[in-house]
Amino acid sequence: MTATILSVVSLSAVGLIAGIAIFVANRILPKEDESLQRASEIKELLPGADCGACGQPGCFAYAQALAKDVKILDDSPCRILAKDEEATKNLGEYLGVDLASAGPGSKAIIHCTGDSPAIGSYNGVGTCAAAVLVGAGEKECPYACVGYGDCAAVCPTNAISIDAQKRVAFVDWEKCIGCGMCVKTCPRELIELVSAEMPQYLGCNYRAAKDVAGRKKCTVGCIHCRICVRSSEGGETEWDESKDLPRFVGVPATAAIEKCPRKIILKTAAFPADLVSAPSSEAEASE
Amino acid sequence: MSELVAIFFGMALVNNMVLVKFLGLCPFFGVSKNLSSAFSMGVAVLLVMLVASAVTWPLFHILLVPSGVEFMRTVIFILVIASLVQIIEMAIKRTNLTLYNALGIYLPLITTNCAVLGITFINIDNEYSFLGSIAAALGAGAGFTLVLVIMSGIRERLDLADTPKVFRGAPIAFIIAGLLGLAFLAFGGMVG
Repeated sequence: MTATILSVVSLSAVGLIAGIAIFVANRILPKEDESLQRASEIKELLPGADCGACGQPGCFAYAQALAKDVKILDDSPCRILAKDEEATKNLGEYLGVDLASAGPGSKAIIHCTGDSPAIGSYNGVGTCAAAVLVGAGEKECPYACVGYGDCAAVCPTNAISIDAQKRVAFVDWEKCIGCGMCVKTCPRELIELVSAEMPQYLGCNYRAAKDVAGRKKCTVGCIHCRICVRSSEGGETEWDESKDLPRFVGVPATAAIEKCPRKIILKTAAFPADLVSAPSSEAEASE
Repeated sequence: MSELVAIFFGMALVNNMVLVKFLGLCPFFGVSKNLSSAFSMGVAVLLVMLVASAVTWPLFHILLVPSGVEFMRTVIFILVIASLVQIIEMAIKRTNLTLYNALGIYLPLITTNCAVLGITFINIDNEYSFLGSIAAALGAGAGFTLVLVIMSGIRERLDLADTPKVFRGAPIAFIIAGLLGLAFLAFGGMVG
C-alpha cells in the first residue's frame, strides 16, 4: 500500500517540479524575438516557392531579412512576387513601402534546339554535369544541350521539360519565374535570362565562327552568316563580337526571323501576335 | 579516469546504440539522407542524452531508491526527458535562432527517441557512478553521431550510384545498415 502511495506521490512530485521548471525557464529566458513574429507574418505574403533566387535560403530566411531591413527589396527583389501585382501590393502595404514599379521581370531561354546527331553512347551517371565532365556528352556539337535535365531538376516551378527524342531542354514561359537557378546549373552555359518582353532569341550557341566543320555538326546551327544583322532595319539585331553570335535588343526582328537560312531565330511567347508575317500564316491556313 | 575512458569508448563503439543495441533506428533511417542534417541530429541527441543522464541519475538514486519505487523509473524518466527537451528547445529558440532553424523538427523528435531513454536505463542497470553515466552518455551520443554521419555519407554516394531498380531507396539502406552492423561487431573483442 505504501508503495502505491509513494509511487503516486513521487510521480506527481516529479511532474510538478518539471512543470515549475518549464514555467521558470519561460520566465527567465529572454522573450522571443519580435522580428520572428513579424517574419512569419511576412512569409505569409511571400510566394513560398523557396526557389532561392533572391539569394536567401528559402522564403522564411528572406522574410527574416525583410523584417530586419526593407531595403533588400531593391538589391535582391523576389522575382516571383514581381509578376503578381496583387501580392506585390499586399506586401507593400504590410511593409509600408511603395512597391508599384515591378517591371516585366525576366525569363530563361535555352540557346539550343538540339538537332546535333549523337556520336556515341554514354552510360554513366545521368546528369549533365557528369556527362560533360566525362566526354562532352553524346552529341557531336560541343555547344549542344546534353539533355539530362540538370536544369529541369533545379527549376522550382517545373517550367523546364526535356524533349526525350531530341534530348534538349525547353522552357515554358508561362511557368518560368526568371529565378536564374537553371542558368547557374547548366554546365554548357546554354541558358540565359532575358527580359520577359524579348520577342525572339537565337536557338544556338555555336560560337567558333571560323570552324567551318562546325556547320556540319548540326542542321540547325548558326553559320555566322550575319544575314540577320544585315537585314536589320532599325538596329534590332546586333553582332556580339565576344560570342560571334547575333544579339537582339528587344524589338521584334521580323526580317531577321524570315531571312535566317537556318531558321533558328525563334519567336518567344512575348512576340506580338499581330506581327506574324502574312505569307507564312496563310500557308499554315491552307495546309 | 581510465574507467571513464573505457566506458566512453565502450558505449561509442562496442555497445553502439544503433548498430549493436538497435536503439534509435528511426532517426538512423529517417535523418541519414544528407550529411549536414545527420550531423545536426547527432549533436542534438548527444546534448539531450547528456542532460538526461545528468538529471535522471540523481533522481533515481536520491528519490526512487530511498522510496523503494524503482519500478516507476520508466514513467518518471519519460516525464523528465520530455520536460527537459521542452526547456532545451525553448532556450535554443530564444537565444540562438540560427541553431534552432538548423535543428528544426529533430529537437522535438528526440523526446520520443528510445536511444535517449535507453541510455538512462543503461546507466542504472550497469550501476555506473554519476561521472560514469556522464561518460556513458557522451560515448553513446558520439557513437550515435558517428553512425549517422557514416550512414549519410554512404547514402549520399548511393544516390549517384547505379543501383538495381529493386534495391533503390530503403532496401539498399537496410542492406548497408546490416553491413555496418557487421563491421561494428568487430569492436566486440576490443574493450571488455
